[in-house]
Amino acid sequence: MVTPPRTPLRPDRLRPLNAPVRVAVESENGKLFIDRCSVEAVLDSWQLDDEWWRHRISRRYVEVMLEGGKRVLLFEDLTTGEWFEQTP
Amino acid sequence: MVQSSLVSTNAVCCWIPLFALRCEAARQPDLTSQPHALLAPELTRRMWQVSPIARREGVRPGMTVGQAIGLCPTLRLLEPDPVHYEQEFSALVAALGSISPAIEPVEEGKVFVGVDGLEGLYGEVENVIAVIKEVAGGSRLGWGRGKFIAATAARRAKPGQAVIVRPEDEKPFLAAQSISVLPLDPDTHRRLRLLGIKTLGKLAALPEDAVTSQFGSEGKKIWRLAAGLTIEPVKGSVAPEPIRATLTFYSAVADRTMIARALGQLVDRALKHPRRLGWRVQALRSSAALENGASWVAAGVLKDPSADRERLLAPLLLRLEQAPPLGAVERLTLELTGFVPGTQELQLFARDAAAAARAGRRRALRAAATEISTRLRRPMLYHVIEIEPWSRLPERRYALIDFDP
Repeated sequence: MVTPPRTPLRPDRLRPLNAPVRVAVESENGKLFIDRCSVEAVLDSWQLDDEWWRHRISRRYVEVMLEGGKRVLLFEDLTTGEWFEQTP
Repeated sequence: MVQSSLVSTNAVCCWIPLFALRCEAARQPDLTSQPHALLAPELTRRMWQVSPIARREGVRPGMTVGQAIGLCPTLRLLEPDPVHYEQEFSALVAALGSISPAIEPVEEGKVFVGVDGLEGLYGEVENVIAVIKEVAGGSRLGWGRGKFIAATAARRAKPGQAVIVRPEDEKPFLAAQSISVLPLDPDTHRRLRLLGIKTLGKLAALPEDAVTSQFGSEGKKIWRLAAGLTIEPVKGSVAPEPIRATLTFYSAVADRTMIARALGQLVDRALKHPRRLGWRVQALRSSAALENGASWVAAGVLKDPSADRERLLAPLLLRLEQAPPLGAVERLTLELTGFVPGTQELQLFARDAAAAARAGRRRALRAAATEISTRLRRPMLYHVIEIEPWSRLPERRYALIDFDP
């Protein structure tokens, strides 16, 4: 990471990094598909609960291996039931 | 100069023959219609650069004023203004530096531009040439692999035009060139002519060993150039910007002792400049504005770079002795133009040297960022900055911000 030497920090100039991207998770004949790529293995999973005091965030993270060997980090928003992909 | 990674195999040679004369013609457009010549910036008062019209009348460089006027009574003689020519050339080099970081000036009016990678920015070779033409308008341009082919191509180009020699065309292009394009001493040139070798093709057709045994190491060098086997890359340099010190006299000074003393003061001032710390001086130049409107210049390149006052002064004082200003001096300027990093013993300055090199890189980075913003109409370079690195939510830890070097 590079430390900006002179760049003034202004909120309107910030761009999000690692923002979640919505994905479609489907189940067919017992197999899971993420944006039509089949899941080969679930490598890890954990739950994250935060900010219950203002706007509750509750996510179930799953690290999976897709067909072809690509590893992807997903989470399910437990408040809405939607799935997202995110860079760790 | 500091060797750096600014090396480019593909080169463009920008060549403006009779550069000083062109500068005068640009200042006085009426000159183009009459025979004119520049006097050498020395006491000898001989012809230095001669315009094509005067040349047709028989005037040649090196002739005395009497000989030249005898051949061409309407000849207009011009006092040289070397400072103006250097300023014009520096402006050209700086403008080319905005296109490519690998710039290698050779002599006044001739500069190589490293073009490796520029296709990624501008597209085809022709587009790169067009961009160079924008800043180096009337110069002859030559594109080729290595400096020799690029320079030879520039010699074949018309003013304001370019000759592009692609790798597959190198051999036939070189074979057709006269041996006068080779860096030869007059004796070797004469011997080659006597042997009936007039083109590079004929030279390259000879066995390399035979040419080497006839002409020694120079023979080997020219054979390899002729055969297109020597590809000398363009080498740019990273160094501090020139340091300048100026002294304006209350009344014009003609006394050489006074001028020498003033030069000493200017060297002292320039050496104390913070930008000089960590660097030894390799090239310096002194210029003077004269009372009669002309100028004087003395330049020195040190074999052993130094930060010692006396060693820096020596070449300037020698020039002052041998070719003093042709008038009283109104303003004297000293510029330290070439640098090499401080020696190992000068560890005291090492940090400053690194800082200066970083400053150079930052300048180049700033220019590149500006170029990208201009071409894409929006900034495409960002810093990653920490927002809440402790956050459990990945999207809140870091963010991007426009890169503003």
